Amino acid sequence: MKQFKTIMNFELMNFFKNKIFIGITVFLMLLVAIVLFIPRIVDATSQGEEPTPIDPNDLPVVIVTAPNDVMGLVLQDVLQQAFEGSYRVEFTHDDAQSIETLITLGAASRAFAFEDWTVYTYYVKNISISDYATAVVDGVIQNLYRLNSMVSAGMTPEQAQEIMSIAPTHETINLGVDQTNNFLYTYIMVIALFMIIMLYGQMVASNVASEKSTRAMELLVTSAKPISMMFGKVLAACAAGLVQIALIFGSAIVFYRLNESYWASDEIISSLFNIPPELLIYMLVFFLLGFLLYAFMYGAIGSTASKLEDINTAVMPITFIFIIAYILVIFSLASGSVDNVGMVIFSYVPFTSPMAMFARLAMSVVAWWEIAISIGILVATVVTVGILAARIYRAGVLLYGTKPTFKEMFKMLRN
Amino acid sequence: MLLEVRNIRKSFADKRVLEDISFEVRSSQAFGLLGRNGAGKTTLIRIIMGVFPANEGEVLIDGKPIDYETTKIGYLPEERGLYARKKIIDQLIYFAELKGLSKARAIQSIDYWLDRLDMSEYRNKRLDTLSKGNQQKIQLITALVHNPDLIILDEPFSGLDPVNAALIKGIVSQQIQEGKIVLFSSHQMNYVEEFCDNVGIVDHGHMVLRGNLHQIKREYERNKLVVSSTQAQNIIGDCKGISDIVSAIPMDEYKVMLTLTSSGKKKEIMQKLSLAYDIDEMAVYEPSLNDIFIEYAGGTDDEVEEGGDVK
Repeated sequence: MKQFKTIMNFELMNFFKNKIFIGITVFLMLLVAIVLFIPRIVDATSQGEEPTPIDPNDLPVVIVTAPNDVMGLVLQDVLQQAFEGSYRVEFTHDDAQSIETLITLGAASRAFAFEDWTVYTYYVKNISISDYATAVVDGVIQNLYRLNSMVSAGMTPEQAQEIMSIAPTHETINLGVDQTNNFLYTYIMVIALFMIIMLYGQMVASNVASEKSTRAMELLVTSAKPISMMFGKVLAACAAGLVQIALIFGSAIVFYRLNESYWASDEIISSLFNIPPELLIYMLVFFLLGFLLYAFMYGAIGSTASKLEDINTAVMPITFIFIIAYILVIFSLASGSVDNVGMVIFSYVPFTSPMAMFARLAMSVVAWWEIAISIGILVATVVTVGILAARIYRAGVLLYGTKPTFKEMFKMLRN
Repeated sequence: MLLEVRNIRKSFADKRVLEDISFEVRSSQAFGLLGRNGAGKTTLIRIIMGVFPANEGEVLIDGKPIDYETTKIGYLPEERGLYARKKIIDQLIYFAELKGLSKARAIQSIDYWLDRLDMSEYRNKRLDTLSKGNQQKIQLITALVHNPDLIILDEPFSGLDPVNAALIKGIVSQQIQEGKIVLFSSHQMNYVEEFCDNVGIVDHGHMVLRGNLHQIKREYERNKLVVSSTQAQNIIGDCKGISDIVSAIPMDEYKVMLTLTSSGKKKEIMQKLSLAYDIDEMAVYEPSLNDIFIEYAGGTDDEVEEGGDVK
C-alpha cells in the first residue's frame, strides 16, 4: 500500500511537472476565459458611443421593377417594410439587361423583377448560404395576394387583416427530457470523455513501454509489485485527467458566473451552464469507470511492447472499438434518436456504455434499473479487466523481443 | 545471516531454464555466480528476488523462507536503465521510497552515496546528461541506498574506467566487510577471484561446479609445472627423452608447461631441471578461474536462444 502511494505520487508528479500538460491546461483555460469574456468586452467597447442611426441612403439598394407603376409602388412599399433597416428598396424602370449591369457593378445588391403579382425574377451577384431574400419576398407577396383576394371576395380590409394576423398560442408539457436544452452539453461531455480516455490511455501505454525500453523496468520490477505499479500508474493518470477537467470546466463555470448577465440572452450558452447536478454525477461515474477500463487495457498492451514505436500498432484494436462506440453515439445524438437499438445494446456493453449510457440518460428517459445494470456490468468488467491486465503486465514487463501473440497473452493470464 | 538457495527448478512454458540449483552464502561472504550468456543466471536472480516463483525449491534466509518485507535486497541489474529525462535526485528518492525509506532518510542516504561516489555535483542534473560510467554509478546507488542485507551485483564493473572500477571495488569490499551477503555475477573473472570465496558455475540451467575457489583449484592434480627460462626451447627439446614427462607445451618463447605422469614426480623433475638449466621461475600450475570456467561452461557451443535469459 505504501509502495502504491509512492508510485502514484511519483506518476502524478510526472504529469504535474510536465510542461506540455501544464501548457495545454493553461491554454484551454485561457481559451475558455476569452470566449466567455467576449460579450463583456464587446459591451465595454461599445459603451458610451450612442448607436448612430443608420442613414437609409447608406443601405444597399434593392431594385424592384413591375409591369406598371401602381404595382411597382405597392411592391416598393411592402418590400421596404419587410427589409427595413437592411436594404433600401427602389422602384425603377430598368430592363433585365440594365439590372444585370447594375448588380454586376455593385450599384445594387439585388433586384426583384415582377411580371405579375406572384411571378418574379430574383437577381443577385453571389448567392450566399444564408440568402433568405426570396423567402422574405415570397412571404410578403403571399400575404398581399391573400389580402387582396379576401377583400375582393367582400371582406373589409380590417377583417382580412385580422384573419391574416391570427396568432395561435400553445403550451408545452414535456414528460421527458428537453433535448433542445441539453444536446450541447451532452455533446461536450461525450467528446470530453472520448478525448480524455484516448489521450490518457495512450499516455499510460507509452509510459509503461518507455519504462520497458529504457530498462528502468528491470529495477522497478524488483522494487515494487507489478500490481502496485499498474494501479499506481492508471490511477495517477485518472487523477491527472480529473484535475485537468476540473480546472478547465471549473474555470469555465467561474468565468461564466462573472459574465452571467452578459450571456443571459444566449439560451444555448446559458443551458450549457445549467447542467442538472445529477447529470454531473453520472458524468463523473461513467468517466471514472470508462477511464479505468480503457487505461487498464492500454497499460496491459503497453507492457507487451518492447519499444515505444510498437505502441501505436499494439493499441489499435482498443482504439478501434472505442472510436466505433464514439461514432455511433455522436451519430445517434445528431439524429436525436438516442434510444435506437444500437444505442440500447451499446449502453450495456461495458466498452461502450460509458458514452452510450451517458448520452441516453442525458438526452432521453432511462429507468433507474437500466442505469444500475449498466453501471453494475461496467464495474464488474473494470474489476475483471484490472486483474487480467495486472497479470499480463506482470508477465509482459519482463518480456523482450517479439510481441506476444494473443495465444501467448492468454497463457500469461492463466499463469 | 545465511542465504540458502535449495533445489530450484524453473521452466517457462515447456522450456526448462533451471534444474536443481542449490548454493548458500553467509554474511560477509561474496558468492560468484558464473555462467555464459543465457545460462539462467538472471532467471535465478529474479527467483531469489521474488519477481516470479520457482516451480520447485526454495529460497531461505536463516533457515526460513525469505520474507521480502524484512529482508532488504539491493540489485544492480545487468541491463542498466533509469529514467533518462528525470533529475537524478528525484528518481533516486523515488527508488529509495519504493524500498521503504522515508523521504528524509532517503535524501540523507542518497547524499552520502553521491558524495562517496564523487557524484554530488550531478545531484540536480538530468540523468541523460551523464556519461555511461557515471550513469552506472547512479544506478549503483539505487542498489545500496537502503542499506540492504543482500546485495546482488550483475556485472558491476563493465564499462567503468580503471579509476571508477577501483572506487567501486573499494565499496564492494567494504560492503562485504560490513557483513552483507554479496551475490556477484560477472564475466570478468579477475574481479570474481578477487571478491569471491565461493563460486558456482551455471551451464544450461545446471549448477555444473560449486564450491570454495581455493579448494576447487587445489583439487586439480598438481602434475603440471610452469617453467620460465631463457632456455625454454632447449627444455622442450630435451624433455622428449624423459619418461616422466608426458608433454612439454610452449606457452611463449621463454615459458613452457610440462605435464608429468603424476604429481609425485614433481620434486624429482624440479630438482633435475634446476640443475640442468638456467631457471628464472618454476611453479606448480594452478588453473585460473578463467580456465576452470571454460572447462566447465565452454563445452558445447550451442548458444542458448536469445531471450531465454530475460524471461
